[in-house]
Amino acid sequence: MLTMTIAWRNIFRQKRRTTLTILTLLGGFTLSAISIGWSDGTYNRIIEMFTRNRLGHIQIHAAGYLDRPSLYRNITNGAELGSRIEDIPEVEAWTPRLFSAALASVAEKTSGVQIVGINPEREARATRFDRKIIDGRSLSAEAAHETVIGRGLARTLKAGCGDEIVVVSQGADGSIANDLYTIVGILESGDAIQDQASLYLHLADAQELLVLAGAVHELVVIASSLEDVAQATEAIQSRLNEPNLEVAPWQEFARPFYVAMKADQQGSWIGLFIIVLIVSIGVLNTILMTVLERTREYGVLKAVGTRPGQVFRLVLYEVWIMSIVGVTIGAGISLIINYTLSIHGIVMPQAFTYGGMEFTHYYAEVNARSILIPAVTVILSAVLVSILPALRAARVAPARALRTH
Amino acid sequence: MKTAQWLTLATLFIALGGNIRAQAADDIDVDSVIHHIDQMYRSTSSIAEFEMEIVTPNWQRTMAMYAWSIGMDKTLIRITAPKKDNGVATLRLGNEMWNYLPKTNKVMKIPPSMMMSSWMGSDFTNDDLVKEFSLFEDFTYEVITVEDAADSLIYINSIPREDLPIVWGNIITAATRKDWMPVWQRYYDEDGKLMRVLQYSEITTFDGRRLPAVMTMTPMSKEGHRTVIRYKQLEFDREIPDDIFSLRNLRSQTGN
Amino acid sequence: MLYLKLAVRNLMRNKRRTFIAGSAIGIGLAALILMDAVMIGMEHNLVASATESLLGEGQIHARGYRENLAVEEAVVDGDGMMAALGQDTLIAAYTRRAMAFAMITSPANLSAVTMIGIDPTTEPALSLVDEAVIEGSYLQGNNPRDILIGSKLAEILETRIGARVVLTTAQAHTGDLAQEMFRVSGIYHFNVDAMDRSMVFIRLPQAQTMLGLGDDFHEIAMTFSDGSYGRNKQSPVWQHYSQNGNEAVSWTTILPEIEALFELSKVGLYVGGLILFAVVSLGIVNTLFMSLYERMFEFGVLRAVGTRAIAMARLILLEAGALALLSIILGSILGLVLTGLFSHYGIDYTGIEFSGVTFREMLYPALTLDQFVVYPCGLFVFTLLVGLYPAAYAARMKPAEAMRRSF
Repeated sequence: MLTMTIAWRNIFRQKRRTTLTILTLLGGFTLSAISIGWSDGTYNRIIEMFTRNRLGHIQIHAAGYLDRPSLYRNITNGAELGSRIEDIPEVEAWTPRLFSAALASVAEKTSGVQIVGINPEREARATRFDRKIIDGRSLSAEAAHETVIGRGLARTLKAGCGDEIVVVSQGADGSIANDLYTIVGILESGDAIQDQASLYLHLADAQELLVLAGAVHELVVIASSLEDVAQATEAIQSRLNEPNLEVAPWQEFARPFYVAMKADQQGSWIGLFIIVLIVSIGVLNTILMTVLERTREYGVLKAVGTRPGQVFRLVLYEVWIMSIVGVTIGAGISLIINYTLSIHGIVMPQAFTYGGMEFTHYYAEVNARSILIPAVTVILSAVLVSILPALRAARVAPARALRTH
Repeated sequence: MKTAQWLTLATLFIALGGNIRAQAADDIDVDSVIHHIDQMYRSTSSIAEFEMEIVTPNWQRTMAMYAWSIGMDKTLIRITAPKKDNGVATLRLGNEMWNYLPKTNKVMKIPPSMMMSSWMGSDFTNDDLVKEFSLFEDFTYEVITVEDAADSLIYINSIPREDLPIVWGNIITAATRKDWMPVWQRYYDEDGKLMRVLQYSEITTFDGRRLPAVMTMTPMSKEGHRTVIRYKQLEFDREIPDDIFSLRNLRSQTGN
Repeated sequence: MLYLKLAVRNLMRNKRRTFIAGSAIGIGLAALILMDAVMIGMEHNLVASATESLLGEGQIHARGYRENLAVEEAVVDGDGMMAALGQDTLIAAYTRRAMAFAMITSPANLSAVTMIGIDPTTEPALSLVDEAVIEGSYLQGNNPRDILIGSKLAEILETRIGARVVLTTAQAHTGDLAQEMFRVSGIYHFNVDAMDRSMVFIRLPQAQTMLGLGDDFHEIAMTFSDGSYGRNKQSPVWQHYSQNGNEAVSWTTILPEIEALFELSKVGLYVGGLILFAVVSLGIVNTLFMSLYERMFEFGVLRAVGTRAIAMARLILLEAGALALLSIILGSILGLVLTGLFSHYGIDYTGIEFSGVTFREMLYPALTLDQFVVYPCGLFVFTLLVGLYPAAYAARMKPAEAMRRSF
């Protein structure tokens, strides 16, 4: 206890030295905390945009649909399945979809399209469908022979809101599926290629057109957060437990995207490693300085009868106190900065397009990792590096130490 | 990307006139047999009433339709049954093609890129329908013997000329020795693998011509698929007013 | 000069401290050099993957062709353009292509593809089609019925080398259907699904005949004698060839994602540099103060014997400079060795896809002169800047107080 008191006193006596040491620790800590929070924030945002706003976190299909999509590989009890998974705590929302290829034409222009039958209300809740409309409005809650088309498709067909559009496809019974719809909205999903072909119909309209009453091809599930996806997938799997259904998290159904993200993150690990390395070297340097430079002081302590063990602890305590103070203040600062950046973000010097989605801001993320990794780095390197000089200090011979001045 | 299950309403006429040919052979004159089969369905103009039955693992349906054609590049097809598709019509003028959809009362122009692939969900691809080649002119042929050969039939093996846009390695045709009527045609790839079988049956006399009224196409690569074309009426070389093949008539819904 | 000697002597007096501080800063510098080298290596790989497989570093089309890919819109005065490119010393290689959507049919199946007519002699300089052939051979000899198809497409068509396939497409202007029989002469594998599934290559004259193009074509792909030229959208070359209804664009215009990725990586490098400099500066200030405290008495004496404040400050700054130099030497050597090792053995990144571009090669960090000029100079200047703080402190020191505080 006495040693601790002396340690505190030492720290306060040499204000400038203490401040500098703590500043080094704090600076290293804060900067690495922010860069981790930042890179995590950017990745998660890309993943979140990709999954949450478009494909969903988890998809449920009839077995084999993902490998070979076919009109006939469908789910006939979509609504029932949905209600069965609805109360899983990690499931935030679900929405059904029905797909088919078709031809669509407005006046003289004809183009190949991808019909997406949706439930407008559920889709808005799950993937914010309504917010992607850039012109006009979303589909009515009840089927009303309305359609929302992608921006690129609108351009190809030279069509706008209010125009009538003819859609022709093949019904599930082989019939010539054809009907007339009114364009009520133009949509921009963020994926230009998709917008070149998407034509959204109310699920009931799509089912009628394709003669697939009650059937859907896909149930999209949104988990309460990205971290909950694995757990939610498991819960859905065990609850549905039907061999003819496939429950896949985004890592599976968007495999190329996942692999790219993984690779990018690996790249960022190299960066993180280098940052951690630089920080720990800075800490090493500072701590070595503060301890090694004070041989004379320890000589005096020894001369007045302090035992080696006490000197050893004294040195360690000083380092601990300083690193804990540095990390604590640093954690506070980093949290504030990361939080601010997570809300406001920083404008990118150049908008960044990934998979058709445009990113204009960097956003940070507040997470445990961004505090823990730097904290461990700083404290561990501080403590480790102080052991050797502390041992030396403990073993210093009083007379010799005094002479070094 | 899903490949569109495209039912472009291509010209059935060519299916009637060009592609579906059979060959028979006589011991004496293979040339004449081939020529006979080649010309069997051809004419300067035709009016046909027929049924098309399509069987797939997922559905089965029979459509009834009328077709009018002049030469190679003017065709109008109008579907009369089932009720749901009644009135759907296709007009082809040269390279341009339109569909009329009575339910929406709209005419839709088919883009050239959509001219390919399955016609009406049948096992005749558009490729079959668009392509027109002559067994007589475009193939080399010879009489062969096959296992389990029937005495009443002759078998002719045809091999496409090297530079023709034909994917088949060879086609074997079985025809009756007596009157040169085709019985079946088997399409092989170059490795000798059977890819599809076309069967002819119900020899009928239409407008003075004797020919098989029923053709059944069975693709070997797609299990459970089959398409049957059944002629009800067939008239050849009749006067057909030119304005039948107009967008206005396509829209008019009145038939002819 | 005297002060410099004095500064070096001061540093050498406590060798251990100097060495620790020097190597700490040095390791930081080395890490930054390595990071920079890795980024350059990655960029190289990405650029190579993006441009070498097919794109080239620049392309010329008729204006509007890129948007609607209309078969009619051939390069205006194609022969003239080709001749001009042949005269241009900036252009390392160039080739022409005719392209169209087509349907390919085998006895078993059919598939929609992009048919690309290439000049087999000039194409290899621009793309890796020839190297990507895994079965059969690239367009050798002059059989007009040769066709190269992708590995995925071969699977779909259930076809093999030597088998018949038929290409169907529509002619320019008339829209007439054109059909030709080909025999699969080679199967390529780019390891990018979209490419392996949906492109077929035939000889240019065959494509021109099928499409009714005469001698016209749709695309010129080119590379430059200096690779960085192609990435610069401001290069006069784009303007120069964007005339008479043609449009010349950099590959970065065609694949903006890749360029955006570089921007993102650069930000990462800035952050790393910022952290390094922050840590380094605190380390330097710390070290200088340490040695300053230790020598309070000495400084007091120096002041007492009439050394001027400015001279005191200069002494400290020189110490900082000498320390920085030492760090730079240590760091550069370490950076050179580390990066050298990595660039020799490489980092395995192969087979990973980004925006449709797959890394085909190992990632080799690249050493550049810049890394050993920009970062060390930056570090040196930065060290002097932060050295101002202890220097100012030394300059303001009162002799008596200094001598007293040293005990």
